[in-house]
Amino acid sequence: MPLVNNKVGDNSTVGKDKALIDGEALVDSLIKVVACYRHLASCVGSCTDSLQLRDELRQTREKAQKLSVAICHHLTSHLRNKSLPEEQRKEMELLWVAFSSSLELLHVDMCKVFKMGDVFSLADTGTLVQTGLQGGGSEVAARALSIPDLNQAQPPALPAGLESQEQSTLEQEISQIDHMIDDMEMKVNVLRWMVEPHGPQYADPLSSTDSASLALLSVDEERPGHQPLCQRSHIFVLLLLFAVVFVAATLSVCIFLFS
Amino acid sequence: MTIRNAIRDHGQRYRPRMACLRKAEKVLLEMQDPRTGVKSQPQRLVITTIPHAITGEDIIAWLAGRFQIDTQEARSFGSMLVALGYIYPLQDHKRLVIKPDASLYRFQTPYFWPTQQWPVEDTDYAIYLAKRNIRKKGILELHEQEQYNRLHKWMNHKWDFIVMQAKEQYRAAKERKKPDRVVFECQERAYWVVHRPPPGTVSAMDYGLERRIDPNADETQTPDFYERIMIFTQQSIMRPRVKSSVSIGALVKYCTTYYSHDPFLSKCLPSNPWLTDDVTFWTLNRLNAEVPSKMRVERWTFSFGELLSDPRGRDDFRLFLKKEFSSENLAFWESCEDLKWGTAATMRGKAEQIYKTFLARGAPRWINIDGKTMEITVSGLRHPHRYVLDAAQTHIYMLMKKDKYGRYIKSPVFKDTMKKAICPEEHKFSDAQLEQNAKNRRPSLSPIILRQQELEQRARMAANAPVDITQVMSKLSQQGKEAPQRRTSR
Repeated sequence: MPLVNNKVGDNSTVGKDKALIDGEALVDSLIKVVACYRHLASCVGSCTDSLQLRDELRQTREKAQKLSVAICHHLTSHLRNKSLPEEQRKEMELLWVAFSSSLELLHVDMCKVFKMGDVFSLADTGTLVQTGLQGGGSEVAARALSIPDLNQAQPPALPAGLESQEQSTLEQEISQIDHMIDDMEMKVNVLRWMVEPHGPQYADPLSSTDSASLALLSVDEERPGHQPLCQRSHIFVLLLLFAVVFVAATLSVCIFLFS
Repeated sequence: MTIRNAIRDHGQRYRPRMACLRKAEKVLLEMQDPRTGVKSQPQRLVITTIPHAITGEDIIAWLAGRFQIDTQEARSFGSMLVALGYIYPLQDHKRLVIKPDASLYRFQTPYFWPTQQWPVEDTDYAIYLAKRNIRKKGILELHEQEQYNRLHKWMNHKWDFIVMQAKEQYRAAKERKKPDRVVFECQERAYWVVHRPPPGTVSAMDYGLERRIDPNADETQTPDFYERIMIFTQQSIMRPRVKSSVSIGALVKYCTTYYSHDPFLSKCLPSNPWLTDDVTFWTLNRLNAEVPSKMRVERWTFSFGELLSDPRGRDDFRLFLKKEFSSENLAFWESCEDLKWGTAATMRGKAEQIYKTFLARGAPRWINIDGKTMEITVSGLRHPHRYVLDAAQTHIYMLMKKDKYGRYIKSPVFKDTMKKAICPEEHKFSDAQLEQNAKNRRPSLSPIILRQQELEQRARMAANAPVDITQVMSKLSQQGKEAPQRRTSR
């Protein structure tokens, strides 16, 4: 979006704030896409690996790359603008650090997917590791691409040549991300030690309605007999207390009735 | 492959000791084959069942059958696979061993397999810990808490990103179906138990140093390469040879002598600090310990070199020589060592000092070396270099070894030391005490302080350098008729 650079007071600050908000939105969505890509990448090579999963990976990766190119241009142009006020610059630098870290994570994940794609070819399904997963990553991919439902448009039987084509494109994309990271570091010099984060050290718990999966996991914990025993003893004490209170109540009612 | 290392350091990192990973992967792919591999069963949980769980005894039986080995070896092989992170236990997830009963395991997904090329990132660990904290506050263990604080300090600039990424990964995980979510959480947890083990456990991921070149890659055949091979072969031809019976005999003798002193092969009293995290052994065997341990004193009797290389032994020997009025030999030897190992700037001064003190005619601490060696040494001292006193030093060393060493071993000084030497009792720690020890580990004294202490001690000794009365008396007897003049000590 065109930046109005004549120093008319309100217009320029509003314009710059909008740039900041835009940048934040872009970086947030990139972080979301990178997180989803990681989830999808963890399924590669497992028994749920399929052409569909690879296709979802490809789509997620393309989205991530589009976003990163956009953010790169946006942030580079703003950070190279020498007339940026100090607080704006600080915010931009925070976004920059977040962006470069996301790019690094994406780069690692892409390298891993490439390597695993080499090793685990979909043609030979016997070698896919039986990891206990049952569903694919369709919901995660849908979240990444921000569409409510990912309809399985492509038929499962696709030619095997597509796989090698995908591998070579992946290789090219990885080197492209490499170059982007290098370019970024050359064009803009952000001093990492000067950047201060806003947020707290500990993230707040997002929702407390998550006890179900916790319960599933805690069944696997060591000393499985220990926790139910604790709960049992607590319940016993509570019952005892209630019984005592109940008896006291009945006695007092009886006394009241008889007196 | 043109894919660069994901870590953006411009050197390459190879971790050669992890070459076993490729072999382990092959074995694992065979193991997980649904037809010919280990047979899997579904794991029943409260709400759902998750497939592809395998029992420990099945794994061991399969390995024993596949490689034709006995159960014990199959068990240790299986434990190694678990320790490397290819299989993870579903119950008791912190102990990475195979139990030969019906306890359940599962195969790790290839994304979380240990790899040689990509080191494990602290950023990922920080994201994982933040995720766990989001799921339930206060669930982090003590060592994880410490790590979290440390990472917060060192990766402070990224912290917003880490928290946001943790939240996003958490939300993305919620999109998946419940059993898949549980499986993914187990996988991630197992990954981090392998790569960030709790303190006090042994990690299979210790891989030694990182190399700059890939030692498994073939070397290019340049002229330099051939030149190196030629030099190596020439030197091998020129080497002096010894009959194998003689050399093996020497090795066997060495082994039998030092067998009981080796902490790997026999017990280490009171306890091996690397195993029990208790540093009594090191404090008792400090370089300048007042009372040496019995094992240490025994080592002094093995050879003269052992006695001299141990500072406490050298002190004892010095005491003995003082009683025999021949301590100038040891002092000369020590000054020669000082010259050899000192800085180049001080060499000239040291050489002059040594000449004045030990070698000149009428020197206060004159050493007794034969005429020829004395000639060579004195002529060499005109242009002193590091090794100018080598001949004299060797002569004195041999003198001490042949004559004084034997007498030292039979002397009352040594016998006294041996009687006073302590033999500490063995520690017997319970598991709880071992954990306590692991928590109380502290770093040792800084080497700067140790060096200062050493220098102070050396200065003190130089200040108290004794005058040898024997030299004075011999000079007096030489001069004979002249009136005896008292020599004052410096």
